[in-house]
Amino acid sequence: MSPVEPESDLTRKQRREQARDERKAIEEASAAQSAQRKRLIQLGGVAAVVVVIIVIILVATGSGKKAAPTPSSPAAKTAQTEVVSLLQSIPQHTITLGNPNAPITLQYFGDLECPFCKQFTISALPTVIKKYVRTGKVKIEYHSMQTATRERETFQTQQVAALAAGKQNLMWDYLELFYHEQGEEDSGYVTENYLQGLASQIPGLNLSAWSSARNDPSYPNQVIADAQAANQNGFTGTPSFMIGKTGETLKKLEVSGFTDASQFETAIEKLLKE
Amino acid sequence: MSRRTVRIAMIVLAVIGLGIASYLTYVHYAGIKPACTAGESCTKVQTSIYSKLAGVPVALMGLIGYIVILASLLVRETETSRFATLVFTLAGFGFSAYLTYRELFSIHAVCEWCATSAGIMTILMLMSIWRFLRGDGSLETSRIETGEGPRTAQVSAN
Repeated sequence: MSPVEPESDLTRKQRREQARDERKAIEEASAAQSAQRKRLIQLGGVAAVVVVIIVIILVATGSGKKAAPTPSSPAAKTAQTEVVSLLQSIPQHTITLGNPNAPITLQYFGDLECPFCKQFTISALPTVIKKYVRTGKVKIEYHSMQTATRERETFQTQQVAALAAGKQNLMWDYLELFYHEQGEEDSGYVTENYLQGLASQIPGLNLSAWSSARNDPSYPNQVIADAQAANQNGFTGTPSFMIGKTGETLKKLEVSGFTDASQFETAIEKLLKE
Repeated sequence: MSRRTVRIAMIVLAVIGLGIASYLTYVHYAGIKPACTAGESCTKVQTSIYSKLAGVPVALMGLIGYIVILASLLVRETETSRFATLVFTLAGFGFSAYLTYRELFSIHAVCEWCATSAGIMTILMLMSIWRFLRGDGSLETSRIETGEGPRTAQVSAN
């Protein structure tokens, strides 16, 4: 019996261990399962919260279209006052702002619907106008280049509306007002009402003469000529600039930002010293 | 793929995302045009009304998002840290999805920087889900974390 007893003891012990191992394995498996279930619930919960938040943001931001101000709105009135005081008593001739005999010519290629052009026109350009155009040192020519405006037809219509104001030497008033009151891109704000509203805000503009000038067949050609010039200059976006001594070949002026006038001032000062 | 490899890959992706968001935030505040191969589309997206949410530039939100994701990846890995990464990347993915929707259906222009960031965020989210659901891969640690440690110790003492 004695040799058997340890063996049966061992077997019992082994069985016990085996049972314990099995129990442990079952416990581990069920713990793992419940941990996994908990994780899946957490994942689902987080995903649901994220979805709810995104839906709230979507609804809150809505269609988000920002309309252009109407001519009688306070925003339009402010724009009108700013533009009139900026351009007052500066000579204009068709697309050119400033003394026709100014020693330096700056060409500004823009798209009236382009937000960066608006940024430039509102922040850096006034300094250049006050410091150099008003003093007769620089004249600025405005040329068009389609970038932000989606429809080719709209681009031409708005540009021709500006050029038509140029027939009364008030194109720069039109451009400035357009940029100041620019609406949200692709919101379709450039309507006939909008274009006429801008014209009605220009003091001294003969509206009927402006309306008939819009049919001048030479203006669409001017838009095409501008596009060709922009292409030849190798421009890829707006606003883009050419600068140089009047009557000489102009060079491309590369600027890194449109809110600061200092790069324009440096280029002008350099040319004035030459 | 080992847990370590996944974590390193996620850190690398988060750093790239952080770089993109930093660049777009800089571009936003400096008022310059983002470098873009698709013409004016980046500028269009960056200057649209959807580039801000409640007055905060979305580029800045992205920057903050990547910082917290990176932080959750760099701390000592626990169930909680994995859950944090999951929450941040899911939120980031949801926000990227919203912005991509706006690009496609409201702005009608896709900014390649934003699209890249959205792609990175998607991969990060998928990896964090995988990482979270996989857990530690060993029950012992998960028991310790869930407060069942002493019982495990008893078993091994036997």
